[in-house]
Amino acid sequence: MLRAIAFNLLQMFVVLAFSPLAAGVLARMKERVQARRGPSILQPYRDLWKLFHKDQVLSEQASWIFRFTPYVVFVAPLFVTLLIPVLTDYPLFFAFMGDMLGGGFVLALAGFFATLAAVDTGNPYGPVGASRTRMVGFLAEPVFMIVFFTVSFVAGSTIPSIVQQKWVTPPANFYAPSHLLLLLAFLMLILAEGGRIPVDNPTGHFELAMIDESKSLEYSGRGFALMKWGGYMKLMVLLCIYLNVLVTPWGLAQGRTLAAVLLAIPLVLLKILLFLLVLVGIESSLAKLRLFRITEFLGAAFITCVTAMITSLLNF
Amino acid sequence: MNALTPFLDNLNALAGGLFLLCAFGMVATRQARGCLNWFILQSLLLAASAFLLGWLHHSVHLFGVALVNVVAKPVIVPWILRRTAPAEIYTRREIDQALNIPTSLLIALALVIFAFFLAQPLAAAVGPDFRGPNVPIGIAGLLLGAYTLTVRREAVPLIMGLLAMENGAFLTGIALARDLPMLVELAIATDGLIIVVIVGVLTRAVEQHVGTTAVGELASLRESAAETTGREGAE
Amino acid sequence: MSVLIILLLPLLAAVLACVRGHRLWAPVVTVAANLAGLTLAVRLVWATAAGHSATAVMNFGLWRWIAVDGLSALVLLLVAFVGATASIYSAGYMAHGDLKPEKLRLYYANYNLFIFSMLAIPVLAEPTLVWIVVELTTLCSALLVSFDNTRAALEAAWKYVVLSLMGAGVALFGFLVLFAAMQATGGGVYTWGGLVTAAPAMPPVLLRTAFVLILIGLGTKVGLVPMHTWLPDAHSQAPSPVCALLSGVETTAVLYVILRLLPVMQAAPGLRAGTWAMALGLASAGTAAFLLLQVRDYKRLFAFSTVEHMGIILFAAGLGGAGGSQGAVMQMLSHSVTKSFCFFAAGAALLTLGTRQIASVRGLFRSSPAAGAALLFGALAIGGAPPFAVFLSEFSIIRSGLVQHRYLATLLLVLFITVAFFGIMRHVNRMVFGRPEAGARGSLAAPVPLPFTCRLALLLSAVPVLVFGVWMPDSLHALLRQAAQTLVSP
Repeated sequence: MLRAIAFNLLQMFVVLAFSPLAAGVLARMKERVQARRGPSILQPYRDLWKLFHKDQVLSEQASWIFRFTPYVVFVAPLFVTLLIPVLTDYPLFFAFMGDMLGGGFVLALAGFFATLAAVDTGNPYGPVGASRTRMVGFLAEPVFMIVFFTVSFVAGSTIPSIVQQKWVTPPANFYAPSHLLLLLAFLMLILAEGGRIPVDNPTGHFELAMIDESKSLEYSGRGFALMKWGGYMKLMVLLCIYLNVLVTPWGLAQGRTLAAVLLAIPLVLLKILLFLLVLVGIESSLAKLRLFRITEFLGAAFITCVTAMITSLLNF
Repeated sequence: MNALTPFLDNLNALAGGLFLLCAFGMVATRQARGCLNWFILQSLLLAASAFLLGWLHHSVHLFGVALVNVVAKPVIVPWILRRTAPAEIYTRREIDQALNIPTSLLIALALVIFAFFLAQPLAAAVGPDFRGPNVPIGIAGLLLGAYTLTVRREAVPLIMGLLAMENGAFLTGIALARDLPMLVELAIATDGLIIVVIVGVLTRAVEQHVGTTAVGELASLRESAAETTGREGAE
Repeated sequence: MSVLIILLLPLLAAVLACVRGHRLWAPVVTVAANLAGLTLAVRLVWATAAGHSATAVMNFGLWRWIAVDGLSALVLLLVAFVGATASIYSAGYMAHGDLKPEKLRLYYANYNLFIFSMLAIPVLAEPTLVWIVVELTTLCSALLVSFDNTRAALEAAWKYVVLSLMGAGVALFGFLVLFAAMQATGGGVYTWGGLVTAAPAMPPVLLRTAFVLILIGLGTKVGLVPMHTWLPDAHSQAPSPVCALLSGVETTAVLYVILRLLPVMQAAPGLRAGTWAMALGLASAGTAAFLLLQVRDYKRLFAFSTVEHMGIILFAAGLGGAGGSQGAVMQMLSHSVTKSFCFFAAGAALLTLGTRQIASVRGLFRSSPAAGAALLFGALAIGGAPPFAVFLSEFSIIRSGLVQHRYLATLLLVLFITVAFFGIMRHVNRMVFGRPEAGARGSLAAPVPLPFTCRLALLLSAVPVLVFGVWMPDSLHALLRQAAQTLVSP
């Protein structure tokens, strides 16, 4: 049992430690594709270090929510890592505390606090971004629900680790149409929730066009560092769910020894790297959608999900 | 062959699922060229499904159907359109449609669910070796094609809706009517091509004489229309 | 063998009409080919009525798909007859428009292709091939409908093409389901005859679905309510000889396909296809009769009358039994010849007046006696006045309805026929009688004299309209009886 708790904490630590690396790699690859040199892949670590050593500047009008939010945003993805399969094939100690829906709600909690904090300071750009984030979130929620429902329906459970088994054996299940359509729908969801192109421009500095970035506009010092790190971790958590459950449910530790679990770490990082390449391809070839077209984008994701559910229903 | 059967079944179902997505794409896309591309993709998926079903049932007919679909629709239809219809139809975007796109998608979804309910008794009546989701998806493709026809106003999406209806009927046909003679399949394919020719010529005529390719907006013939003195025999 | 020649003649004419030459080359070729086709068709009908099947020798391989029995021979004869008279009419009518020679050649080539596609419908026995040919009729006639290239004509052609092809897509699905039903009984030849024999063994769900789909799909092409919205536009905007073809025989030929399915449906237990057919027929007849009261264009008037008559034919076929089927085939015959005559008359009026509006025409009889007389004659005939052919067929339908104790349905039918008659006569009377107004809209001042061929065509098509109301040659009578028999389930 101690070992199970230790592995769970190891998972948390892996996500904590490697998420800035993932963000750094993504930024550098994107710049490389555009024939620029790009920042070093360790730059996010240096940024976080710098920010932790700076003072915070807080507005006098801000309430406790403003000070509390960075902690929520930081802790929520960490909490979710306890529930999902990051390194191991089998459910770990805390995995039964919450299923996929629970994980989704925890992430939504973080988003909720971030929205409130953006409105809290009185900066005009905060509420603009917050309302847009809510719009995207409001449209993405049904898609999330249907994806989770379809996945659970097909696999017969809502615990991610158990769901993941369904697509490993028998191998023909991997090619089931519901699975492949779900891959497409979830990819569109990640683009929406992670604030990537075509939904939002993560590197833009133009406040009027910001959607996700606006939540950290007013933060500085430690608060800003926590918000950034929380953002990196959220993306990594989504990627872990996507890759380890849906896309490549192999390569996770099957044994219960420390060696097996440690071996899984580079494999998971490799999977994330490959996916980041795909993400760079998508981001470099599409343009950002106009705000009102985002509804159509998410509508398309919704339709894909429902088609996945329908084709899975038909095979019974 | 037995070991491969679930694998092939799944691939066929995947082709069907993507076929349905293409039909949705045709409802939702704004650009004329995009509609044409979705149609080409849909035809290729139809060919893939025919190929897989032919493999499963050892039927040469279906291989022929697949071949015809790969050649006729993705290649010849765009070529014919380019020759007969005026070139500007490719650049048209429908800025406003009869219904906005999310609503259209939801209605299309309702039509698909309706199609699946329709397909249940049919599938039950046909027999035990009836494979996969072809029948419901084919009926859904038919209904979505008809829906595209009613909602769109530009010429190319209208033509694509027509051809999509035929694709849907065909997808059902390759599962239901597997032994249809090759001659008939070829004739149906040729028929599709003639449709494109004639409609292309009509579109060109409309563009020349009426001045727009938004053919769905031509709606003036009614009892109360102020009729001009129509001298017969073109002046 | 003669069947193949009948089919090949229009194809040959279409090819020849494209040859550049004298201005009269294309019309002469068309008329000659159609007249030859008519002669061969008459001979075929004679042989079939006497009991020799024209296609008995061709019972192997691909030729199994060509079969001519009583009903097919009747439709073939109708197509050939109207095709011939309309080609004679076109020779004079189209020459009047000062068209460019290429456009005229295009017209005749298209015309011949259209005739070919319509001739092929009754001849083919495999339902999917028949579907293909029905689609071909839409495609060949699309450019004919839009021939004038006015905004209205193009709109009518576009609506026609889109709605017909949409219906054809649905019908294709129905035919494929029918094929699946056939396969579920364990195979058998997929022809009309094969379907009738295999019908009792087919799963009723499939049969019902196929019937509904084909009824809706092909019903769009026939013009049954509520899929009729394209018909008044297309059948009024086309040039008059084309209108005669469209209204006279094309809708009849497609209705023939639906009627071929009725015995198949009736052989299967519990399907009540007859009741469906009767209900749809009554709906069409009723809607058309009431819509016809408020038309403003006299070609649309006749187009609505087509919808009404298609409804009556479907009603009679649904009625079933010896009397109903006999009435249906007789109505097909009388409607085709009469409706083509009506459109010839309307074309004559249009040529003379230059306007399609009913409101701007008065005293046609005085300004152009030929056109006025023809219009009046046609209106009376199509409305169902005695002693014309339509009266006889409608009377036999009503009588068989009463004999079969369907009192309510027959009463409704009589009501609709009366309303339609009243509507047609009111409009036509206003046009024909009275004195021509000076300074009215439309060029009544110098009426164009009717070309000789138009008059000839009018005369030729008037003959059956009058004659069949009182007397019918024996072989034709025998043919009608054979045709009626194929409609009744064995």
